[in-house]
Amino acid sequence: MELHAVDSLDAALDVLATRGERCQVLAGGTDVMVQLARGEITPAALLHVERIEALRGIEVDGPITLGALVTHRELAKGVLGDGFRSVAESAATVGGRQTQVVGTIGGNVCNASPAADTVPALLVHDATVTLRSSAGSRTVPLSAFLVGRRATTRAPDELLTAIGMPATGEGSGDVYLKVGRRSAMEVAIVGLAMRLRFDEAGTVTEARVALASVGPRPQRATGAEAALVGGPLEPDRVDAAASAVLDGVEPVDDLRATAAYRRRVVPGLLRRAAGICAQRAGR
Amino acid sequence: MTVIGERVPRADGQAKVSGEAVYGVDHEEPGMIWGALLRSPVSSGTITRLDTAPALAMPGVHAVITAADAPDAYAGWVLRDQRLFASDRVRYEGQPIAAVAAETLAQARAAAAAIVLDVEALPAVVDLEQAMTPDSPLVHPDWESYVPAAGPDFPRHGNVAAECIADPPGVDEAFARAYRVITDEFVAQRQYQAYIEPKSAVGIFRGGRYTVHTAHQFPFNVRDRVAQFLDVRPSAVRVVGHTIGGGFGAKLDAGLEPYAALLSRAAGGLPVKLVNTRTEDLLTCPSREGAITRIRSAVAADGTILARELEVIADNGACSGEMPWLAAIALHCARGVYQGGPTRVTARLVYTNTAPTGAFRGVNGTYLYHAVERHMDHIAAELTLDRRDYRLRLLFGDGEELLNGQVLHEAGILRQGFDALEALAPWADLEAGRRPYRGIGIGAAWWLTNPGPGSAVVSLREDGTAAVVTAANDNGSGAVSIGVTQIVAERLGIPPEDVFVTLPDTDIAGYDGGSQGSRTTRAVGKAALIAADEVVEKIKAVAAGLLEAAPDDLEVAEGSVRVKGAPGTRVPIAMVASTALNTVGPLQGTGSFVTPFPDFNPSCASGLLFPSFPTPTYHVHIAEVEVDPVTGTVRVLRYLVAQEVGRVISPDGTYGQVSGAVAQGIGYALHESLRIGEDGRYRERTLESYRLPLAVDIPRVEFVALEHPDPDGPYGAKGVAEGPVLLPAAVIANAVCDAIGRPLNSIPITPEEVLAAIQS
Repeated sequence: MELHAVDSLDAALDVLATRGERCQVLAGGTDVMVQLARGEITPAALLHVERIEALRGIEVDGPITLGALVTHRELAKGVLGDGFRSVAESAATVGGRQTQVVGTIGGNVCNASPAADTVPALLVHDATVTLRSSAGSRTVPLSAFLVGRRATTRAPDELLTAIGMPATGEGSGDVYLKVGRRSAMEVAIVGLAMRLRFDEAGTVTEARVALASVGPRPQRATGAEAALVGGPLEPDRVDAAASAVLDGVEPVDDLRATAAYRRRVVPGLLRRAAGICAQRAGR
Repeated sequence: MTVIGERVPRADGQAKVSGEAVYGVDHEEPGMIWGALLRSPVSSGTITRLDTAPALAMPGVHAVITAADAPDAYAGWVLRDQRLFASDRVRYEGQPIAAVAAETLAQARAAAAAIVLDVEALPAVVDLEQAMTPDSPLVHPDWESYVPAAGPDFPRHGNVAAECIADPPGVDEAFARAYRVITDEFVAQRQYQAYIEPKSAVGIFRGGRYTVHTAHQFPFNVRDRVAQFLDVRPSAVRVVGHTIGGGFGAKLDAGLEPYAALLSRAAGGLPVKLVNTRTEDLLTCPSREGAITRIRSAVAADGTILARELEVIADNGACSGEMPWLAAIALHCARGVYQGGPTRVTARLVYTNTAPTGAFRGVNGTYLYHAVERHMDHIAAELTLDRRDYRLRLLFGDGEELLNGQVLHEAGILRQGFDALEALAPWADLEAGRRPYRGIGIGAAWWLTNPGPGSAVVSLREDGTAAVVTAANDNGSGAVSIGVTQIVAERLGIPPEDVFVTLPDTDIAGYDGGSQGSRTTRAVGKAALIAADEVVEKIKAVAAGLLEAAPDDLEVAEGSVRVKGAPGTRVPIAMVASTALNTVGPLQGTGSFVTPFPDFNPSCASGLLFPSFPTPTYHVHIAEVEVDPVTGTVRVLRYLVAQEVGRVISPDGTYGQVSGAVAQGIGYALHESLRIGEDGRYRERTLESYRLPLAVDIPRVEFVALEHPDPDGPYGAKGVAEGPVLLPAAVIANAVCDAIGRPLNSIPITPEEVLAAIQS
């Protein structure tokens, strides 16, 4: 296996332009090294991008831009501020401290695990991903980038370079809740992120709900979102959202939990998340 | 000055923390090559093709061996029902079929993978109840031909590998006149020992003998097992112990050692090393057995237990290990620590097409106490009695006579345990602090200290330090690195850092019964104390000449021999040791110790292989838990332990063992899932899916040591480390059921079951 260790974006894109088809991009390595050891991936080449300084930036004035190499640990510390607590909370639950200090947000997204913790949080913030190649650049919604279990629309010659999120406005609150068998170092049985925005009168004007570990990819629960919007966060509204949160979702039976458990737990998580969002929004 | 009961750093602590310690898995020998095993991919089947030629043709390969290359021998700790390799029939997933030795580990694994193996799958015996039915396939069609490793045969038949039955008179009569009959059934899953260091071994065949390097809890047992498998006398095998990265019972019987030994012979005597991958280790580890426990009590209106029936069906896996010996433990735990009428006990150990089960800290007791203590809560609830009061009313007292006729002379200690916890956390306050989804649980237990034999030689060195030669092993507990070390230091009047204890070597040290059942501090500490006594007498005899005093007027303390009452008249023991070289010869003493089994009634039960519990200890635990009503997860908020320990030798060592056992018990109760599919294969196969609890899941244990020094123990010590694992599943289950107001009778308690119960 070839190893290409690069320290500039151009060098990385050069490698991908010629070797992209059989090349595995390696950043923190917390997923890739495990997959290599298990024989789940057998790339002809590894492209080590971790030393590309240009991919480490964090812009927080106005819209958020995260370089692909921003680590979970940085996010967990809350560098994005109070409007993005779901992102911090999700990053803080990715593996343990050792994986958080090297694991990257770009890697977590590109790994496209059904259980990826940060993805639901990014989805409720309408995140976009920017992909670069020697030929050019494109920016697409994260929801369109992830197409299935371990599947994205990244072309072989593309590198995910940045993740963008619009600024959250006044009256917003967000949260990430994770269900596991123990209190840390868990692969999510279910992950649920929510973001609610309220107007001065307490009406929910914007709602986002996203789930991990219930299907082949993390996804928005648009039925629940629709149920939450349009009035104050009263019990009936939350009940309606809880009833709708699994619409179109077919929770999976796997080693970690049964589909039946996931069905039981998700509506309760939604109720809990709604309460926390309202509190954080000051409503 | 005494070091007993003082906080003394453990002798092996620095090396383990700094990374200097060489564990068994790190051990290398000059010229060493590597081995790998080909294991059965299915749990039951017939081998229809086994072709090793492709492996032999692989690069770097020195040897490939199968059943055809192994002696035609059966081995086993209690019953000789194991072959080294499967020959025609495979009985569990992971069973070795062939072994390869090659230059590198990668070459060995590649060669093992190149062996052509066809197995025609057969129906797997998995379900314990079905295994006992007359039409079940037999895991061992030849079971009748098997012989015990020692002693007379014991009750067993078909898929029942061992059976212990007590049927005293009066049970049915008592049920007939009962005010109420309370019935429960409990199911307990397996538990993987999940030590950090996977099993490994380096085997060397040289000079006609086998040497095995291994990090093992019981080197003499490895010696005996290797000898059985390889059909040689025990003295043809030497077992050299190394620093061990945890065992918890799983490293009491041989694992990879006989394979490494035979591979070395096949490879012309080159040392061969075998190391389990984590998945191999998990799949083939003798985990704690799964079991079904049924319990039925005839009670009077006031809660008096008029009679009881207890039935246990335990999973032996595909062969027997230590398990038949342990079946009788059901008899010793059937009433827990509470008085009751005649009790009928039926304990059966059942063969299945699954990995053999074996010893795990608190053997059999974890699920038996879970059953008994859950059942006590059930009775109390039915009769609307306070759970703690009810237990206190029926609690064993001094002089309690048990079902096997054994008398517990000091069982009144149990009440002191309840009182000690009451002082820390008054039950009424805990009850008053209850709110929705918060619950409390209480339970109590008694347990043994393993009586196995031990020995030690203590030598006084010419610089005033001491060496202790023993085959005892510090399995991480500190029993050697703190316990034995402190005991010898105390007796010789020297600092603990001046006591050096060997690692085990069956060629060098006398027999040792292994680090099991909390025995090492007590049994080996006692043997070392006897040896040190002899050294002290010799020191005094030599010093008497130097000090011109009578030996009886001398005392050994603070590194010197001094005249009692005239501490200024003294001679350093280093000088005594040096002088002795040229007068009486080197100063050393030897000690041996074994605890006799307490008296019991041999006719109380059939199949009574483990007849009574020596050196009893007493335990009371309380847990307070909070259930998350949204997720069904359980958080242990408080955990309290009162425990009889004889005498605390090391406060840190004692607390560490209690705390560690509680952590392991919390994992068993709440986190660790080791399920077996209908095909007999484990579902959890790595430490990613086998969830060990983390530090954040474990509260700081509130601990009270009860000290009633044992006149036969070194400085009064009894066993400490095993007992505290017995009760966490019991009291946490009681607390969870209290919290949600519904019964949950399975181990582990899963968020799925909790949430389903809450939402039902």
